Amino acid sequence: MRIFLLLGGFFGLILSALPAAAQAPTDSAATLSVQRWYVPKHAVLQTAGGIGMVSGGMGYSLLRQRLDVDVLAGYVPRHYAGNKALGIFTLKTTYTPYTITLRDAAWRMHPLSFGGLVNYTPSRTLNRSRDSKYYKGYYWWSSTVRFGAFLGGRVTRELKPNATGRQRAVSLYYELGTNDLYVVSLATNLSGLKITDVLTLGVGGKFTF
Amino acid sequence: MFFTLIPRIRQAILLTAATLLLTGCELFEFSPNDVRAADRDLTAKNLARLQAQPKPTGGDTLRFVFTGDSQRFYDEVGPLVESVNRQRGISALVIAGDISDFGLRREMQWVNDRLRHLKVPYLTVIGNHDQVANGRQAYQEIFGPLNYTFTYDRTRFILIDTNSREYGFNGKVPDVGWLQQQLADTVGIRRQIVLCHVPPSNEDFDPTLVKPFTEALAKAPRLLFHLNGHAHSFSIGEPFADGVTYINSFAFEKRQYVILTVWGADQFKLEKVAF
Repeated sequence: MRIFLLLGGFFGLILSALPAAAQAPTDSAATLSVQRWYVPKHAVLQTAGGIGMVSGGMGYSLLRQRLDVDVLAGYVPRHYAGNKALGIFTLKTTYTPYTITLRDAAWRMHPLSFGGLVNYTPSRTLNRSRDSKYYKGYYWWSSTVRFGAFLGGRVTRELKPNATGRQRAVSLYYELGTNDLYVVSLATNLSGLKITDVLTLGVGGKFTF
Repeated sequence: MFFTLIPRIRQAILLTAATLLLTGCELFEFSPNDVRAADRDLTAKNLARLQAQPKPTGGDTLRFVFTGDSQRFYDEVGPLVESVNRQRGISALVIAGDISDFGLRREMQWVNDRLRHLKVPYLTVIGNHDQVANGRQAYQEIFGPLNYTFTYDRTRFILIDTNSREYGFNGKVPDVGWLQQQLADTVGIRRQIVLCHVPPSNEDFDPTLVKPFTEALAKAPRLLFHLNGHAHSFSIGEPFADGVTYINSFAFEKRQYVILTVWGADQFKLEKVAF
């Protein structure tokens, strides 16, 4: 497990170093066009929202920066998880359709974001519902894979371009979300549960480099 | 302009953040499997409440509500609470396991948020669904021990984790040795009641422990009956033909519960109440 993390970090470093080393900075337009597609466009750090007390990762921006696709690794310390800390690995996609540029052009508001996520909590720390001690279909759901959906908003501050001329920015976001099991609970108990019972809140920041 | 706008935005962000923090603590979820709960150690708290309350029935009569499997039947919890609160002479309500469906902390909180409107304390034993995912940790955090006993009005309740399949039939659950010890302790005890989730007649009970478990019950001189859940529908009988009565609770979804009135050494009356 640790080896994979080390390897991931190592290749990540090489990948992020490649484009910078590959060309001489002539002008910013040329630099942008040479930017390798596979190099992540931003780093993410989030707290709560069901994917860790802290979760961090990288992501890409597509469709003129309206669609973000992020991969995050989250952590819930032992203190909040019972007898073992939890690791949570999340794939998340966020669509942000509207941008309002404020009078001070460095600031942008994104009043609406929505998206979905899927995450995996490794079974070593959980009593897995699909374990061999159960016959097939004993529990119908997976205890380690969660699907989620969320609504939120975001505010962005442009920063000075970096050495190669790429525009950098930092943004803060919040997300009100829920997950598949909470939705099932709500859908089967329309008088017994309220929508606020099944909501989760997460806040985070993105750094576009 | 830069200088006038920034503080305003900063102020707005700070204000929003403060509001979110104040209203959002409950929403601020690390994982559905985390065990951060405002209400903890409910078993100990409810036992303290039980011991502090004067017994509502005279003589050696004890009356309590027996139910089980609240498991994702939130629509039914409110009506059940209203119905139980109208009953007279009730000392407590007991739930024979499966408080939750997915073993999630929030589910147990949803049940407690509704059951805390009961006029009487309620006590639980862990069910198999409460052990899925991180449920066993959540249960221990929110409710308390998996095996425990309490005595009220010289009636000893023995609550035991019998969800053998959740431990892969490791031969240690239920803890028969512990059960024998509790059954042997009869000083000042008029009657004993065993409460668990999976009954020994069920396939989720460790087959190697059926015999020692049922024999321990049959040998216990003060045992009144064995209460369990899991099957969701009510039943009463002597499945092992050994003089031990087994009663299965109604699940919350059945919109019925049982009131048990016990007196003397071995007398009891069973009433079914629809709500």
